[in-house]
Amino acid sequence: MSLFGDLLAPRYLIWLLQGFGVTLALSAAVCLAGTILSLALCCLRETGGRLAETGTAACVGLIRNTPLLVQLFFWYFGAAALMPAWLTAWLNSPHSLPLGPADLRWPAYETLAGFFGLTLYAAAYIAEECRAGLNGVRPAQREAALALGLTDFQVFRHIALPQALRIAWLPVVGQYLNTIKNTSLTMTIGLAELSYASREVETETFQAFQAFGIATLLYVGAVAAVETAGHAIARRDPAGAARR
Amino acid sequence: MNVSVIADNLGYLLAGAWPDGPVGGLMLTMILSAASGLASAFLGLVLGIALAMSGGRTRRALTLGLGLFRAVPIVMLIFWSYFLLPVLFGFAIPETDTVVTALSLVGGAYLSYAVAAGIESIGRGQWEAGLALGFGRWQVLRVIILPRALPAMAPSFVNQWTTLIKDTSLAYVIGVPELSFVATQVNNRAMVYPAEIFLFVGAVYGCLCLVVDRFAALVARPRRLPRAGRA
Repeated sequence: MSLFGDLLAPRYLIWLLQGFGVTLALSAAVCLAGTILSLALCCLRETGGRLAETGTAACVGLIRNTPLLVQLFFWYFGAAALMPAWLTAWLNSPHSLPLGPADLRWPAYETLAGFFGLTLYAAAYIAEECRAGLNGVRPAQREAALALGLTDFQVFRHIALPQALRIAWLPVVGQYLNTIKNTSLTMTIGLAELSYASREVETETFQAFQAFGIATLLYVGAVAAVETAGHAIARRDPAGAARR
Repeated sequence: MNVSVIADNLGYLLAGAWPDGPVGGLMLTMILSAASGLASAFLGLVLGIALAMSGGRTRRALTLGLGLFRAVPIVMLIFWSYFLLPVLFGFAIPETDTVVTALSLVGGAYLSYAVAAGIESIGRGQWEAGLALGFGRWQVLRVIILPRALPAMAPSFVNQWTTLIKDTSLAYVIGVPELSFVATQVNNRAMVYPAEIFLFVGAVYGCLCLVVDRFAALVARPRRLPRAGRA
């Protein structure tokens, strides 16, 4: 058996590229939603009193200490069984939102479950990075702002958070990279992203080396691009984040 | 909530088909974790020391290679070792070994950075003092630097081990009957109560991570050291 064999037929290359498109779209959506959710969590934890602090800490700990795979299975198999029947049926049936020339179609259930599970997982990790960033803000900053008459929430929003984001930016970029890699787990619930596509191509062509090689290169390319962009942003504007 | 589905399948979830068949379930998860934990610690130490002690081109090549392992999803690495190892060695390799190989390489790549950073965090003066006393570079590393750097690295190792416990679940993709895989088998057989099954499995993983974390905290608790030598 030769390692390389013939070049993959164009049709299989298209499968891989389609999978890569799904991986990129899913990663972008999860990073965006995860960031918003983690900021909300952080805000709640900082300004919501003791109960909110314990509650968010427990949720974050729960998500961080169980495998993502099990969480995805839970959202895919378990949540469907826990939801009322009409909701499951509605989520599973096709809907579309006509938006001028293009219809916005309702995603399949595995896409929803994958997006939801990945977002919670990413948010738990990003929230911890943001918290570490907040801990890195000197207490005198907060005291000075309070002395100027700002409320708790204003101090968080205008003083602590901007500085924390600057400290936490590169670790958060690291979590974005993890998210790109984590989308590969959604292949187990049947989401046709890059890993799923490479497995399909391998099964059909028996050209494991090419199928996994191309997929691996695409992953490495995506991760390297995002990492470079993240570092460029950190370098370009080292003090700017505080002024936003 | 229905706990009978857990109670009925508890033996299978904990040990798979063992003792009548191969080990599986939680027991296999623990075996995979322990094996890849040990191997990744060893790899991390060796590669981290190599990273810290090398310079120039060697160091750049090493950084690139390790960076590659960190940029690829673990699922992909498991596929690679699953399909490639048998080709390289020319005979069949058990799935569990391919998983341990992939996880050890990833864990080792992550740990090597922590090890290198730990070594580099020890001040220059320590190196210079050692060299001035007539030690060689490797002697300084072994006698002076590592004994001080290793305790500082301990949290990274513990973090990596808990991450590894969670990552053993990825053995699912090539059908290794560890805890996540047998859970889906039970789920497919029972068809009802999937929420209960996966909540239980999640809790088991959580406990396992917690135990490792607590145990490490207990072992690594700062001991009251004799204050001689501190001056």
